[in-house]
Amino acid sequence: MSAIATVIRRPGEWAWFGVLAVAMLAGGAAVGYVFVAGHDHALNVSRQIPWGILISTYVFFVVSSTGLCLVSSLGDVWGFKAFEVIGRRGHLLAILTLLTGFGVMAMELNHPFRMVLYAVISPNFSSPIWWMGALYGLYLVLLCGEFTALMIGSRRMSFIFGLAGFVAAISAHSNLGAVFGLLEARHYWYGSFLPIYFILSALVSGGALTALIVYFNHKARGISLSPDYERFMITVGKLQALFIGILMFFIVWKMIPGLYGKPPEKYEATMVLLAGPLAFNFWFFEVLIGMLIPFLLLINRRTLTPFGVTIAGLLCTIGIFFMRYDLVIAGQMVPMRESVAEGPAHLLEYFPSLAEFAIVAGAIAFCLFLYSLAEKFLPMEGGHRH
Amino acid sequence: MSKKRYAIVLDTRKCLDCKACTVACKAENLVPLGTENYRNWVSEGRLRGSYPRLGQEFAPGQCMQCGNTPCKRVCPTRATGVGAGGIVTVEDKKCIGCKYCMTACPYNARYYNEERGAVDKCTFCAHRIEQGRLPACVETCPTNVRTFGDLNDPDSEVSRLLVERPYRVVKPEMGTKPFLFYLI
Repeated sequence: MSAIATVIRRPGEWAWFGVLAVAMLAGGAAVGYVFVAGHDHALNVSRQIPWGILISTYVFFVVSSTGLCLVSSLGDVWGFKAFEVIGRRGHLLAILTLLTGFGVMAMELNHPFRMVLYAVISPNFSSPIWWMGALYGLYLVLLCGEFTALMIGSRRMSFIFGLAGFVAAISAHSNLGAVFGLLEARHYWYGSFLPIYFILSALVSGGALTALIVYFNHKARGISLSPDYERFMITVGKLQALFIGILMFFIVWKMIPGLYGKPPEKYEATMVLLAGPLAFNFWFFEVLIGMLIPFLLLINRRTLTPFGVTIAGLLCTIGIFFMRYDLVIAGQMVPMRESVAEGPAHLLEYFPSLAEFAIVAGAIAFCLFLYSLAEKFLPMEGGHRH
Repeated sequence: MSKKRYAIVLDTRKCLDCKACTVACKAENLVPLGTENYRNWVSEGRLRGSYPRLGQEFAPGQCMQCGNTPCKRVCPTRATGVGAGGIVTVEDKKCIGCKYCMTACPYNARYYNEERGAVDKCTFCAHRIEQGRLPACVETCPTNVRTFGDLNDPDSEVSRLLVERPYRVVKPEMGTKPFLFYLI
């Protein structure tokens, strides 16, 4: 009890850690259920839709990690002064989101332990998933190096690790796009769009999350933003408006080739989002919550305030979660053999099971829990170049 | 002895949709119960015309034992390989259950076998071929829809059929070079 008391000092923190604990318990119970009952019973994935919400949540976490790394390195690697304040926090959360992402993915794998062994002794260099493991592994090492460099305040080390981490982040994350983009069988995913799009959407995620951690950090401590942080929030807000603008442009050009001339399978998958089973997710969460409202908040001078940027960041993050889900699921809803899908639309169906939802909630809570602990025990201020 | 290249030639006009091939396969290969667990299938074509003039085709299928294998290409641990006679194989102990091969296969020929703890698929009954027997689906078919044989042998029944009759493959645009040939 005394250990808990040293961590939790304010009443608001009890509520915060309480909510996280409940979600983590639910997630832990679901993980136990997966091990006891088996993937077949615990998860709603199927022969036709083998990748479900756990894969999309994994993608969400690693997109977040990449974005945090890219945006955080703007200060320590690329010399944008306003971003130096975010170095430590950004890189720490990049590590935590990456680890949580790995954890979520391991729950979708039937044999995560076999993976550790056979990825090493029987590697397939033509497999994007093999490269995904190798590149994210390297990226994790470099992130840890960068975080250490920032914590001990070594400018030279932080530049070298930061630059290497930046390159690894771009490589690993564009390769993740290629995990989907190199599947000729999946017309909605196939092509060079996804590797490029993943980098862009990572920037949107990174901008949103860095704004959130700065704001809520100060809020939790009951202190107001210093001029440095104030400047950071406004700068990241402006940058975020640019990122979202480019993202909207990308989405428009993703959709048009999916409609023009009704290309087989690609058209059906595009229509799943525009007017099909995922239309609410797309129009409400992706377009309205994830892009339009944040964009309007950020281009309006009256709402380009630290609070406005925070709200935009929160909405963006929610929107991006749905973007990942919709991308992963829509790409599989058009059956490989027409006769396996029932109904007039000839589409397959997927909705996550309770266990899948619980694992997702538990993973998000676990990541926030670790970050909250780090804020308590590690000196997160300073360490950047002055 | 020259290298073999196994193939199945199908005459779908003979198919009754009796699904004996699916049952025989499940029994032969210990495929677990469940509607999602199967190594081969019979696809129902669209119903043509209106009553009383109706037509419908049934097309049996299974792993196409592709010459250009998307499943093998994407498998991160080389669990999927190509064995003797061009048969695409899965080495159970190496399968991590990432299901990448399942998303990569344009024919949905793979499923995760919980009992084996690995992704499973048709092997042309490789264990029977070794004994000089036919694959279970070929042997059991009451109307001889499937003909199995070695395409590298110009005198085999499959080679002869593909010379005499025009044929098609499924999704040729995928570039997978399938070795299931459907007579037209």
